Amino acid sequence: MIAKLLRRNETYLFFVIMAFSLVVTMINPTFLTVENMFDLVKSSSGMAILAVGFFVGLLAGGIDISFPAIAIAGQYIAVNTLIALGVDNLLLAFVLSCAVGTAMGAINAFFISAFRMPALIVTLGTSNIFHGALLVFVGTRAINTGQLPDCFKAFGHMHVLTLTRADGTTYGLSVFAVVLLGIIVVTWFLLKHTLLGKSIYAVGGSYESSKRAGFSINRTLFFVYSYIGFLSGIMGVMHLSLIRYSNPNYIVDTELLKVIAAVVIGGSKITGGSGTLVGTLLGVVMMVILEKNLVLIGLSSYWHQFFTGLIIVLGVSITHYQSKLQSKKSLSFAD
Amino acid sequence: MIEKVRRGKSEELTLVIITVGAVAAMSLFLPDKFLTLTNFQSMASQFPEYGLLALGIMLTMITGGIDLSVVSIANLSGVAGAMVLASHTKALALGLSPATIIFLAILAALAVGAICGFINGFVITAVGVPAIIATLGTNGLFMGVAIILTEGHGIRGFPEEFLFIGSGTILHLPMPLIIFVLVASMVALMLRKSSQGFKMYMLGSSPLAARFSGINNNKVLIKTYLLSGLLAGIAAIIIISRVNSMRPGYGYAYLLLGVLIAILGGTNPDGGRGGVLGLSMAIVILQVLQSGLNILSFSPFLKKFIWGLILILVMVITYFQTYTWSGRRLIQNSLKTGAS
Repeated sequence: MIAKLLRRNETYLFFVIMAFSLVVTMINPTFLTVENMFDLVKSSSGMAILAVGFFVGLLAGGIDISFPAIAIAGQYIAVNTLIALGVDNLLLAFVLSCAVGTAMGAINAFFISAFRMPALIVTLGTSNIFHGALLVFVGTRAINTGQLPDCFKAFGHMHVLTLTRADGTTYGLSVFAVVLLGIIVVTWFLLKHTLLGKSIYAVGGSYESSKRAGFSINRTLFFVYSYIGFLSGIMGVMHLSLIRYSNPNYIVDTELLKVIAAVVIGGSKITGGSGTLVGTLLGVVMMVILEKNLVLIGLSSYWHQFFTGLIIVLGVSITHYQSKLQSKKSLSFAD
Repeated sequence: MIEKVRRGKSEELTLVIITVGAVAAMSLFLPDKFLTLTNFQSMASQFPEYGLLALGIMLTMITGGIDLSVVSIANLSGVAGAMVLASHTKALALGLSPATIIFLAILAALAVGAICGFINGFVITAVGVPAIIATLGTNGLFMGVAIILTEGHGIRGFPEEFLFIGSGTILHLPMPLIIFVLVASMVALMLRKSSQGFKMYMLGSSPLAARFSGINNNKVLIKTYLLSGLLAGIAAIIIISRVNSMRPGYGYAYLLLGVLIAILGGTNPDGGRGGVLGLSMAIVILQVLQSGLNILSFSPFLKKFIWGLILILVMVITYFQTYTWSGRRLIQNSLKTGAS
């Protein structure tokens, strides 16, 4: 059991996170408090959801970089419809945002599966199409807190667990945690216990062998990219509820790199077919802790992008160096 | 082999027709605004920046990879060059001539570009990371360094003489155009006549076959990414001279444009095919379109939308060109049975 655990990437990542948290707590004792943990969960659950989506895409062998554009499109269309209709219903917002997201994901899937184009180039194109279309056809005006329907604000403040501080004021665990947990459980179940999940791993491993094993590549890819779009739609509404402001011009490029970095240090192979959900989530935790504490170590926020890039490069290097060593052992000529 | 060459020719013919068509349409509909010397001069000084970046992307695509970090390399090289230039008042006091400072700045930009390219090549070959993710990571890394160096501020205050590179003209020809033509011809010569060029096409067609025929794949790849970085460095020199300042984050849209140009120009992202001639025509098509959209004062968002649309469209058309009728039927049949 222990020997098996020691062979896994996740174990090492877990210890690195532990060690890092320990160091941070020594410098800043408020870091390892329940309140701070609740805060971190709330502010980073959106990123975690995107990471889950990107991870599923990666498993199927494709790099989808359109999710920031999809998230902003779903969010902005949903909030504008709600304002135009004068309705104040959170469920409708989620339905709208997820519908927009799923539709955009399906467009990605169509081009990727029907023409066998590289997912990265397709999504580079479609993310510009989606974002450009949003700004041209829907609008460019930002929605500020005053105009925002109340349901978003209420959703942002909703707690599932309320605790009381020593001075009598309260704090709590945001409902975001429940949404995130739900998505994790659904995705885990899908990947581990359904045929669809097996086909995602198989298609990511090799188109040819999965085809011969009788999996439908097109159907699998269609599901994967629509699912990424769906998750992006959820994230769009959550992000809006968190910052209570919707700016369609604001497209989160730094978020994109952070999500990729998180998934990559989680040990997922960029060529598809290999990786675990646990690894991805640990990767997210690592990225969040690092980001929140760079200032503590005395580095300004200018260092964020540098570190994100460095983590991606180091993360993929380690994962691929391991597989290179393995393929050398098995006398492969094709590396 | 003969089949392939013929198809390449017909593809270039299609590009020629589109190019002529685009120019003709613009001249017909907007003669007073499009057909002016100023418009042509402004077009010719705009495209070399992203044209050079597209050249780098094309080279890496020929070997079957991709370089997503070109814009960041250009930014970092630009910052390096700008830092040297911005210190010119101090350097003048030390007795250096403006020419020396400009020379040093160009050297700094090129060196940084080459080093960044080498880092890409090293990560890709020594560790065996797929180019797509390696350069996506270094993209953040290089931009991060540029941001750290400048702390997000712009760098200003260059010597007057330096601005000639970006905005000067010789016989009405803008300097950026002259630089681009020179560099592109050199790259074309390298691809067609040198052994490096031949090996790049071989490697892109089949890495395994290239290896078995005695090609040192890693060496070829490192040289390719180094070249791509160097091209980004040259683009950086033009950028800082034309804009007369440098701020990290410049030209974020150039990545899409560069990939679009490379693919429109007939480069196969799977490797083995592509050339400078097709690329140059793709640049002309896009620059003419861009100029037309600017004259009609389309919003930048609509342009973004159109670029994305063209990229997808070109990929779909290439797909149908690659799979001729019989091949297409084969695919349709296999699609029906649920396989690829």
